[in-house]
Amino acid sequence: MFRRLPETASDSAEVTLWVDGEPRQVGATLSVAAALLQQHGWAEYRLHHDGTPRAPLCMMGVCHDCLITIDGEPNRQGCLVIVKDGMRIETQMPAAQPTPGASTG
Amino acid sequence: MRQDFFIVGGGVVGMAIAYGLARAGQGVTVLDADDTAFRASRGNAGLTWVQGKGVGMPSYAEMSLDSVQAWPSFALELQQRTGLELEYERRGGVDLCLDEEEAHARRTEYRELQAQSERLRRDFHWEYLDREQLLPFLPGLGKRVAGGTWSPHDGHCNPLYLLRALHAACRRLGVDIRQATPVENLARTESGFRATLREGHVEAERCIVAAGLGAKRLAPQLGLSDDVFPLRGQMLITERMPRVEQLPTPQIRQTATGGYLIGDTHERVGHDKGVTLPMLQTLADKAVRIFPFLRSTRLVRAWAALRVMTPDGYPLYERSMTHPGAYNVNCHSGITLAAFHADGLAQAILNDRIHTHFSQFSGARFHVPSTP
Amino acid sequence: MSENSTSSQVAEVAIIGAGPSGLAAATRLAKAGLKPVVFDLNAAPGGQVYRQVESPQADLRVTGIDYRLGQRVVEAFRRARVDYRPDSRVWWVQRVDAGFELGVLHEGRSAVWRARRLILCHGAMERPFPFPGWQLPGVMTAGAAQVLLKQGGLLPEDAPILVGSGPLIYLLGWQYLQAGRPPTCILDLTPRHQWRLPLRQPVKAWHARGYLFKGLKMMLALKRAGVAIERDIDALEAIGDKVLEQIRYRQRGHWKQRPASLLLSHVGVVPETHLTRSLGLTHRWHAEQQSFLPVRDDTLSADENLWVVGDGAAIGGAVNAMREGTLSALEVIASHHGLTKEERHERDGLRRERARDLCARQLLDAMFLPPLNIDAMPEETIICRCEALTRGDLDQAISDGAEGPNQLKAFTRCGMGPCQGRQCSVNATLLLSRRLAQTPDQIGQWQIRPPVQTITLGELATPGVVENRET
Repeated sequence: MFRRLPETASDSAEVTLWVDGEPRQVGATLSVAAALLQQHGWAEYRLHHDGTPRAPLCMMGVCHDCLITIDGEPNRQGCLVIVKDGMRIETQMPAAQPTPGASTG
Repeated sequence: MRQDFFIVGGGVVGMAIAYGLARAGQGVTVLDADDTAFRASRGNAGLTWVQGKGVGMPSYAEMSLDSVQAWPSFALELQQRTGLELEYERRGGVDLCLDEEEAHARRTEYRELQAQSERLRRDFHWEYLDREQLLPFLPGLGKRVAGGTWSPHDGHCNPLYLLRALHAACRRLGVDIRQATPVENLARTESGFRATLREGHVEAERCIVAAGLGAKRLAPQLGLSDDVFPLRGQMLITERMPRVEQLPTPQIRQTATGGYLIGDTHERVGHDKGVTLPMLQTLADKAVRIFPFLRSTRLVRAWAALRVMTPDGYPLYERSMTHPGAYNVNCHSGITLAAFHADGLAQAILNDRIHTHFSQFSGARFHVPSTP
Repeated sequence: MSENSTSSQVAEVAIIGAGPSGLAAATRLAKAGLKPVVFDLNAAPGGQVYRQVESPQADLRVTGIDYRLGQRVVEAFRRARVDYRPDSRVWWVQRVDAGFELGVLHEGRSAVWRARRLILCHGAMERPFPFPGWQLPGVMTAGAAQVLLKQGGLLPEDAPILVGSGPLIYLLGWQYLQAGRPPTCILDLTPRHQWRLPLRQPVKAWHARGYLFKGLKMMLALKRAGVAIERDIDALEAIGDKVLEQIRYRQRGHWKQRPASLLLSHVGVVPETHLTRSLGLTHRWHAEQQSFLPVRDDTLSADENLWVVGDGAAIGGAVNAMREGTLSALEVIASHHGLTKEERHERDGLRRERARDLCARQLLDAMFLPPLNIDAMPEETIICRCEALTRGDLDQAISDGAEGPNQLKAFTRCGMGPCQGRQCSVNATLLLSRRLAQTPDQIGQWQIRPPVQTITLGELATPGVVENRET
């Protein structure tokens, strides 16, 4: 897990993020991946297609290991999306992805 | 050591023949181009497909049918020899018709083809299904698709793994594969053929030109036809998606790893292997029209490859009239025909029977009136 | 673009990236009356090094004095007449007759831009550093940790272990120390003889004295604070079931083990060559920087009407990147309406400073030559993270006949995952180079395929084609 520096914790704007259905207060400047590393940690972030757990590696748009479901859209690059108030985040354990039945119903 | 054959071209066509000949005990050298060469073998959709083949030349449809029927045992043998999984499946396939006009034309075409051949009337099975009927085979099919022709013969594989398995199997059979060894020119020697390379040369008793678009330059050097031209196809592949029970189509199919492969463009643009923004967009439009659920799926890669086309689109199989012992093999359906190339065609070359068994497929058809 | 889609927008000069080089180039162009359009993948200007500089989340005492320079650069950029477009992914770049065609994705819509001149300022990435277990959650890069620090003032809850080679390891360790949370230890992979290079190359060392003293100061501060600095390490392994639990490393021939919850690794930065390769530019292997660099001429141009500057072209650091950005702007101005006498002086001065700085860089490159030997990695080491392919998998394909990077990619799917080979391309080439006894230039790299950034089929499709809901 990551924690905020004490001196910044007080004087920064925050937004509410829904992580797997739970409301979380996070700093408004964070990316989704950064917010998750703070509020959720790197364990149980995402399950890779080979069945192994994965979590963000580079945080700068290169590695694609930070893929995460944002507002129902799976596999978004969490490190490139800045949090917004009310955003819904789902960790991908296991990967939740749209199926043909779901979108034609 | 003097080889029985050298083959110019290490794509799926050349490697399937090399495999067939090596399996029959022949000493074979394969001369392959550079890593950056045009390679239809690395850019195609991986279909093992009968539908749409041979309209206007029923014997080509029959040959395709033979090849897809031989494919299961061909794939199994390759897998057993190499331990490599080809992701091959034959559970039938659907060629989609986006509108009624296309559906009507398709049915007319297939009926005409069958009218020309007793064998195809009997053995080529197909059925037109409208969208409602297709839904169980293609869950999530968009409303703006009219229907499609279904056939039980069709299937798909991973063409890249087929290429790898052919390379691996040939290595195990002792084929001398020389990569990054493009051929400068071809000539007859007193007792066979010589390929001049950037450095040195290779000789063999007989030679096969399976050089794809490279045949344009090389084939005439041995009195073989050069009637090939590039036809560009652009393709998209998406990220991995959950596997869905569905049948492959030439327009779109889900691969064994879960990505959706989208393609089927035909562009006469010379040797330009580039992708273009308008065509990418056209393919994306088509994909979300066929499967609307793909709209939030990410594109991972787009590429283009050059089909090796003859003027009539049918394969070119011929023995040189002026240089007996030199053969030309060229076609754009190297995946579908791989099983046939490894077996029937390799045998015919071994027995020097190309000109009798496959006279229809000679390049002579492009230059003389069709009287034998 | 096809007729049924939105028509393209036009720019005289387009800049990709808003880090030091992009900011400098744009600001200088604006000063000369040319209004460039700047596409930025990020939400605010600054790039990686000056991330979050407009509303800092950590005290300058922690981020360091260099960060203040970034504030001034960004302020100047904000004042300049520039068409700045944050959150804009350039997913498509292609040369067209009179310039360049760009596909730019912003808020779910792709727009086509035509630019007559293009300056690539896309920056660097951290060198992919494979070792067994580097795919485990709990292993991140030092650069990622810096992003977290700058973006949100985030620090690891439990003291991490830092591993690798190069200045960033010590900078991060020092920053954590300033914030009152020093790392457990630093495992320095730099071979001992490389540390002695400054003594042998006094001229270069003189030019590099600023960097060297800064590094020394940080190292001493860490030592004084009791952070163990371990040297002479030549092998590393991350171990854990679902997350990192232990690390193992070999020091002077002996394997040692430590419990660890977070391992931050770093072996230097390399240019991100995805854009330059997708444009078909020539790249050459640079042995000192151990990476492929796009070939540029003296004017920093890589092709007609195309400049590549900053760490996306060759690693030179932020100050050099700004110089190169300004230099490219002056070249654009020169080709547009010529340079004044003052501008020529400005250019010549920047060129001299650049030459001096690059001389120092050679020493740093040599000191921190990455301790990477891809063919000696244990065979279970993952090389392609996306497709989970190991060094052993790649070797098997090479023995099946994959004797070139494109064939290796085809035979294995290496590089076919969502990162599009950014993490494995160079290492695949280096493995082939070892196995086939050819130079990295002889092997080359596999062809880059579009898109150069993520885009969905719905975003790519013609607006209106996507069915909203079917019943």
